[in-house]
Amino acid sequence: MIGRWRLRYWPLKAKLLFLTLFTSTLGIILVSASLIVVENQNYRQRLASELHVIAGILAEQSAAALVFEDSNQLTSIISSLRRIGTIRQVCVFDAAGSLMSSLNPPESVDCPSTIEPSQMGFVGDYYQLSVPVTLDNETVGHLYLISHLRALRAHIQTFIVVVFGIGALIQLALVFVAFKLQRVVSQPILALSGTAERIAQEQDYSIRAPVSGNDELGRLGTTFNEMIGTIEQQNRRILESRAGLELIVEDRTSQLSLANKELEAFSYSVSHDLRQPLRAIDGFGQALEEDCADQLNETGKDYLRRIRAASVRMGSLIDGLLVLSRVTRQPLENQRVNISEMLQEITEELKEISYSLPTDIRIQSGIWVIGDGRMLRIAFQNLLENAWKYSSKEAQRVIDVSATSDSRFITIAICDNGVGFNMKYVNKLFVAFNRLHTPSEFGGTGIGLATVYRVIRRHSGDISAKSEVGKGASFYIKLPVLTDQH
Amino acid sequence: MDEYSILVVEDNPDDQVLTVRALKNASRNSSIVVLEDGQEALDFLFGSGSEEPCVNLDLLGVILLDIKLPRVSGLEVLKKIRASTRTDWLPVVMITSSDEPAELVEAYRLGANSYIKKSIDYSEFSDQMAILARYWLTVNKVPKAGSVRQL
Repeated sequence: MIGRWRLRYWPLKAKLLFLTLFTSTLGIILVSASLIVVENQNYRQRLASELHVIAGILAEQSAAALVFEDSNQLTSIISSLRRIGTIRQVCVFDAAGSLMSSLNPPESVDCPSTIEPSQMGFVGDYYQLSVPVTLDNETVGHLYLISHLRALRAHIQTFIVVVFGIGALIQLALVFVAFKLQRVVSQPILALSGTAERIAQEQDYSIRAPVSGNDELGRLGTTFNEMIGTIEQQNRRILESRAGLELIVEDRTSQLSLANKELEAFSYSVSHDLRQPLRAIDGFGQALEEDCADQLNETGKDYLRRIRAASVRMGSLIDGLLVLSRVTRQPLENQRVNISEMLQEITEELKEISYSLPTDIRIQSGIWVIGDGRMLRIAFQNLLENAWKYSSKEAQRVIDVSATSDSRFITIAICDNGVGFNMKYVNKLFVAFNRLHTPSEFGGTGIGLATVYRVIRRHSGDISAKSEVGKGASFYIKLPVLTDQH
Repeated sequence: MDEYSILVVEDNPDDQVLTVRALKNASRNSSIVVLEDGQEALDFLFGSGSEEPCVNLDLLGVILLDIKLPRVSGLEVLKKIRASTRTDWLPVVMITSSDEPAELVEAYRLGANSYIKKSIDYSEFSDQMAILARYWLTVNKVPKAGSVRQL
């Protein structure tokens, strides 16, 4: 297992080389082994037949001497065999089986008294053979011959050395050739993987892999290049469209900031220039009323009062519009705001202005939200003023503020016991200049709730209202619960 | 003791008349100087070129300075008044139609003594002028120009 895992991390070149060499080595070993076996076999056969020829010649020469039982003659015949190095021992027996003559090795081993056929042939380190000595087709004795196999061993050892030497030379040549040839396969793959790595590192999709040949590797390279080409094109398209989008965004942003600047300039001149004539109308109206009182009758004075009231109303309309435009364009600040305390403060201010009615105000404590304190103050001031105003005709004023929250939103409910409104008109409630009551019933500009709506929407919240005519109204302000980090 | 005089810098003729009327009603003895724009105010206080300034600063109780003025704005006039040791002690009340928070902050940053938004309701405006005249001309004490120079 470990070997296999290690093989996985080898470079491709080494793997190819290893496989080639492994195969060729295996082949060379197998061929060498079979050559050695065959050679061993051949050499034994040759040795055996040589010995049989020698024994045959010897038997023919010694036949006469045996018949005449001439030991000396026999000894001289077999002594000539000493010169053949492979012969170890020669024994000559007469027909009765008694030893007539022998050629013994230096270690003086006696001739065997009987010759068993089973001991003939290759036995241990020796080759033994026995031939009958005949004269006119009559057996006159036996010749026993033992040859040792030193020559065979030496020959086979030499052969093995030669075979493995040649094998090693062939292997060397194969290593060289395989080293050269594996490039044909590994080079395109290495080039391809190198290209892929460069593309991944440099993120440069204009690089192409070199392609040679039309085999599988060539096609792989071509396909790879086509894929990179596609990616390059797509990247270019993405960049182009992003640049286009950025241009559009830039354009829109500059248009928006221009519009914002114009709005700012507009509201600045509104606050200065529209106010001034109103001030003049009201001021000269009062001057007329005071300085020329004796020249005006009651009707004239009534008209003057109406002119002055209208200019003051127009003034508060302008003020409301300015607040509305300010909460629209001012950047939002995010801070923790204690709504309970804020409502308490507003209530105190309202009590100072008008406290003619028994008033019961219940504000849940500890209502915290994240948002722009000044803007939220504008919104809640409007809401509380509304609750205050529209409950001013009841016997007792009851205003209740409570909050519920889940993981995403906190909902603050402001409920009064005032005149309420018809739910038919709920859609007009938060639109500027829409009023659900006549000025003679309740004064107002019709901008307050539009401003509240704008402030709450800018805080990514929502506002809704529920009411029934004569049974009070409830406003629900839903603000997202944010962490301080946002 | 004679009343201090009030310098009113106001470009709109209607507002000039109404302001002077309200101030006169509140403080009959004070003399009121009305100038039409910022440049006139600077000439009046610092003199123009070779001419000497035609005002005795010791008698000036308060300057009511409109912010939106032609040529030189009220805030620029304020800046110049505060930049010169001759005039930097003068009480300056900024009078404006707008209630832009940025403008309010800028006015105080440049050293305004007070900031008043002109009310559209003339009764309220008259009250504002009466309070101003009473405070700056009788309640408040201003150093004489001479004593400022000696220090």
